[in-house]
Amino acid sequence: MTKSLSINNRNVVLELKNITKTYITGTNSFNALDNVSLKIYEGEFMSITGPSGSGKSTLMHIIGLLDNPTSGEVILNGRNIAKLKEHQLAQIRNVTLGFVFQQFNLLTKTSSLDNVMLPLLYSDVPKKNRQDIALELLNKVNLTEKISNTPSQLSGGQQQRVAIARALVNNPKIILADEPTGNLDSKSGIEIMKLFHQLNEEEGRTIVFVTHDMDLAKQAGRTVVIKDGKILEK
Amino acid sequence: MLKPSFNDLLKSSFKSILKNKSRTILTSLGIIIGVTSVILLTSIGNGLKKYVTDQFDSLGANSIFISPGRVFNDNGGFSQSGAIMTTSFSLKDVTNLKRKLNDVEITPANAVFADISSSFNTQKTIEIDGSTQNFGVNNNLAPSEGNGRWFTEEENSKKTPVIILGYQLAQDLFPNSSAIGKKVIVKGKSLKVIGISDKKGASFGGPSFDKQAYIPINVAFDLAGNNDIQSIIVKAKNKDSIESTKKQITKIMLEKYDEDAFSVFDSSQLLNSINSIISVLTIALTGIAAISLVVGGIGIMNIMLVSVTERTREIGLRKAIGAYPRAILIQFLIEAVILSCIGGATGILLGYLGTLGIKSFFPAQVTASSVILAFGVSSLVGIIFGVAPARKASKLSPIEALRYE
Repeated sequence: MTKSLSINNRNVVLELKNITKTYITGTNSFNALDNVSLKIYEGEFMSITGPSGSGKSTLMHIIGLLDNPTSGEVILNGRNIAKLKEHQLAQIRNVTLGFVFQQFNLLTKTSSLDNVMLPLLYSDVPKKNRQDIALELLNKVNLTEKISNTPSQLSGGQQQRVAIARALVNNPKIILADEPTGNLDSKSGIEIMKLFHQLNEEEGRTIVFVTHDMDLAKQAGRTVVIKDGKILEK
Repeated sequence: MLKPSFNDLLKSSFKSILKNKSRTILTSLGIIIGVTSVILLTSIGNGLKKYVTDQFDSLGANSIFISPGRVFNDNGGFSQSGAIMTTSFSLKDVTNLKRKLNDVEITPANAVFADISSSFNTQKTIEIDGSTQNFGVNNNLAPSEGNGRWFTEEENSKKTPVIILGYQLAQDLFPNSSAIGKKVIVKGKSLKVIGISDKKGASFGGPSFDKQAYIPINVAFDLAGNNDIQSIIVKAKNKDSIESTKKQITKIMLEKYDEDAFSVFDSSQLLNSINSIISVLTIALTGIAAISLVVGGIGIMNIMLVSVTERTREIGLRKAIGAYPRAILIQFLIEAVILSCIGGATGILLGYLGTLGIKSFFPAQVTASSVILAFGVSSLVGIIFGVAPARKASKLSPIEALRYE
């Protein structure tokens, strides 16, 4: 009870209002999300879980401004993003959000340092500061010795740490992680989760992660369970 | 608005091109071949033109040629029957022209094809031109100092058996010593070598002046067994009088010969005809080479399209972390242009080296215009064929791109 009270006192960073996402294939239409409303509070550690096909990835894409809802509103920091153009959305994603993916999605044949610096290419950060920022973050994820290694020379856990450093490089408020431990062995998975907790507790970053693993989901401060496009439990 | 500055995009494109060396080589290959062949073929065409012009210059300026048969057709090209000499002229024509034309030099010429033997060896079927004493100077064939002399008017009228050898012919007949003062045998007749013409340079195809010999025309009549003259060269006073002299000659010749039986032309007319043929040939060859440039461009488009598919996830990622569509478009476009420029530059280099190689046995010359043309076309091809894949990449939805396996 005390926990939910404290949440209510915090600022809402992102709010979904009556979101519906409909996919049409031929004559069939299918609601991946069905009238979903959700508030994400500043500084919280939230997990989204549910069986496969439940709509958790679609929900993640809408939170991450990667996809537009069929109906409903997405309000980020009090601003309705429905009317924004694609390049404006791209800029918000660049500055406000940090993405971590299941498949890491690092550029092949590219050093850790360059991978971490990639989002800065599309930002306002002055060129002379870019390398220092990236080096500092690689130090934070304990990869100082691997800055010039390419992804193929790194273990899965190390690659995901590079990806987390990349997600942090523009100092975003919200980190979105889609099955971040899905491709990792359990030991690396635990390390990655530890890193997320650290980012949440020490730096106050808002973390939203999607997982199908109920045990992992329970590590979060709040778990949202989704099934057939509807939120069952907040 | 353009967040990654052009410099950043350029750098990032270069990195991506260098990371995929085999893709880069394969993509540029089409352009390399196209540009190389365009440059080589235009070089050969231009070299040929220059060669022909130089050869005509060495024939002597202000010369008007009278030859049997119709050399030119009504359109200025060569007549089909031009090569067939139906008539020949005689010394009477020469004296007739001399009487009626003022201020000109008239040189009759004929040619005998025969073997020439020295005490060392025999050269087969050499062209031996018979003419008068002024032929040597007018055609830049007179030996320079130290190499003997041309024959005199007296030697011609007295049928003195003397001969002037072409530079190469002299070396072939007398490999180890000077030919001057030695005897050569032509058709059983002994001739004394009195001079060696200056070297005229390498030749291709047709006869070379360096492999010919020159004798007084009266000696040539004896060797040929008749008094036929195959051509008459009239040296006009100056360039401006060429046209009026040509008209006069035509009028004089028409008194005796049929319109189709002779031709009167000057070297510029001949030169123009040959050059127009070479130009058409060069354009045709360049056109064929240009097709390979277009094929190269399609190659670039194919590889870029494959590369868009191959890099779908990269594009999805870049979009997810903040690249707006135009940044992707520009990046792919820059990559296409860099690839075609690399191809173009390599092609120019290869074309240049190839031209240097060809030069040793065939006239060829790289021109600035062909380099500019080839480079311009190759970068244009890069832009045109780069646009489609770049647009495709920029329009990908980030989620679908990221999901792409």
